[in-house]
Amino acid sequence: MEQALRIAVLAGAAWALAGLALLAVRARAYGPKSYLAAPAGSAAAGVAYAFGPGMSPTAKESTREHPGAYLTGVGYHLGVFAALACLVLLLADRPPHGAALRVLQLLTLAGAACGAGLLVKRLSVPYLRGISCADDVVANLLTTGFAALAFAATLAPGARAAFLAETTALLLYVPLGKIRHCFFFFPTRYHMGFFYGRRGTFPPGA
Amino acid sequence: MASTDGIEERLEQLQPEDFRRGLEVFRGRLREAEASYLQTCVRCGLCADSCHYYRADRELESVPAYKLGLATAVFKRHFTTMGRLAPGLVGARDFDRAMARRWVDAIFGRCSMCGRCTLNCTTGIHIAAILRAARGALAEMGLVPADLQATVDASLTTGNNMGISKQDWLETVEWIEEELQAAVGDPQARIPVDQPGARVLFTVNPREPKFFPLCLQASAAVFHAAGEDWTVASEGWDLTNYGLFSGHDGQAGAIAANLLKSMDRLGCRVLVIGECGHGFNSARWEAAEWLGRRPGFEIRSFLEVMEDYFREGRLRVDPAKHPEPVTLHDPCNLVRTGGISEPQRAILRRTVSRFVEMTPHGKDAFCCGGGGGQLSMSRFRDRRLRAGAVKAEQIRRTGARTVVAPCHNCIDQLMELNKEYKLGVAIKTVAEMVADALVSNARSQG
Repeated sequence: MEQALRIAVLAGAAWALAGLALLAVRARAYGPKSYLAAPAGSAAAGVAYAFGPGMSPTAKESTREHPGAYLTGVGYHLGVFAALACLVLLLADRPPHGAALRVLQLLTLAGAACGAGLLVKRLSVPYLRGISCADDVVANLLTTGFAALAFAATLAPGARAAFLAETTALLLYVPLGKIRHCFFFFPTRYHMGFFYGRRGTFPPGA
Repeated sequence: MASTDGIEERLEQLQPEDFRRGLEVFRGRLREAEASYLQTCVRCGLCADSCHYYRADRELESVPAYKLGLATAVFKRHFTTMGRLAPGLVGARDFDRAMARRWVDAIFGRCSMCGRCTLNCTTGIHIAAILRAARGALAEMGLVPADLQATVDASLTTGNNMGISKQDWLETVEWIEEELQAAVGDPQARIPVDQPGARVLFTVNPREPKFFPLCLQASAAVFHAAGEDWTVASEGWDLTNYGLFSGHDGQAGAIAANLLKSMDRLGCRVLVIGECGHGFNSARWEAAEWLGRRPGFEIRSFLEVMEDYFREGRLRVDPAKHPEPVTLHDPCNLVRTGGISEPQRAILRRTVSRFVEMTPHGKDAFCCGGGGGQLSMSRFRDRRLRAGAVKAEQIRRTGARTVVAPCHNCIDQLMELNKEYKLGVAIKTVAEMVADALVSNARSQG
């Protein structure tokens, strides 16, 4: 059973990668943006700023004014990355132990809690409910479940099957809904940094 | 929302062909960057408080993610596989009459295209770019609010957005020249018109000759004091471009071409954009895209030029002439989108005794609410003034007696906010502050 689920995970990963690749190709097919006006600043510096200091609370008001949401989001993503690490170690038959295990358990548990908290917030805060759709709920449940079952799988080998099954479902969903932002975050951030870097807005004081 | 501009009637008349054309224009405006933006929103809602509309009214429809979501819903439905197969799951919606109505209300009526949401977006979505593409679709469908379109049409038919005739313009320039000569005590002081080969071609917001001639006089005083080789044009002198706001790239390009024609005709070396946010953004950054070519000359803001004069020792000012606390409003199109943030600060630090920054300022500044064509759209006036409450409070907190705003649209909005919120401040351009503080200046205070 577990062997079949491992194969399903790998197939799901292939599906996710292929789906994201197709989405990337389709986005590229819209053509490159034209930048004819003479630059006033450095696009490269703008991109570097966008991926670096531009995301920090010192630079970005939205994260500064909403530290709870910011930290919860960070915790959620750390939990997802930790769950990914758990998955890789599981598939490689190299279970973590000692301090590494504790860290992964802490991060996946915290991540799951953050995910659950974000879902509750989304459903209870009126303006968040207003901008949400079914995709937001499905994506959250799958991702939070991923982190939660990663944690469970580190505690009990019996949870491994559920973890692998949930992972397969998550991977199948990746290119279908908003989880595609795991790829599109990078070109979005790049293009935004490029635009403001050329115009001399990024980095500030340039 | 009462329909005084034909929007409701036009919405009722829309045919399938109109929606098809609108979608075609919207799709045609998207590049790889926009296609990425449209697939990145995670609907975290952290953009909400970055928007002055949302801060003022706390309405769902004012949340940037909601406004973006209206465009995204249509993009998904009409241009993505999941939007076609499972619209309910991914929030995809048909571009129909109801959606077009929501687009008009949100994209024209709840957005000044200030870009503040972009800088605060978790993922970096250039929301203003998407909304301008959506405005382009609405323009194609004849759904630009009539008064905004009328401003665009005035530029297209008369060469300036206030329909000032060439004769009136030249007579005004002549009259201001006389005032300038009296103010600086130099009968040789000039406002050259159509001077071929002048180094600088200076362009002006029509609100100056129409309503604020002392602003033009102030700019002329600065050029005179700096000994600049400059001119204005008898035609193609208007720096404004409301095509930036209507979203119609063809019309925006035709308007921008007026300035290029003047440069070609006069053979000047530098096109200097007077104090105007959207005018600078349009000419310096967007015109090349609209016209498909890079202009063969330099385009600079008057603020950059004035800063040069100070650095080169060509201007001397006495800051004691401005003893009152002075604050600076940062026009979004000039600062955040245009990249011009420091020159005006450097100028004011030399020119006034007490310079107080707003919090926040620079690229993080709040929009005054007058951008995006809002001033020309009477149907959204009440909302515009409410959204300006954020800026009004910023001004109040500085304790300043004078607000300097290097943009006439901002000045108009600030003047209305001054009245609406009883701020009791004076509102000036940077050039006016400099002209009033020139050491050898004898400018009239009338």
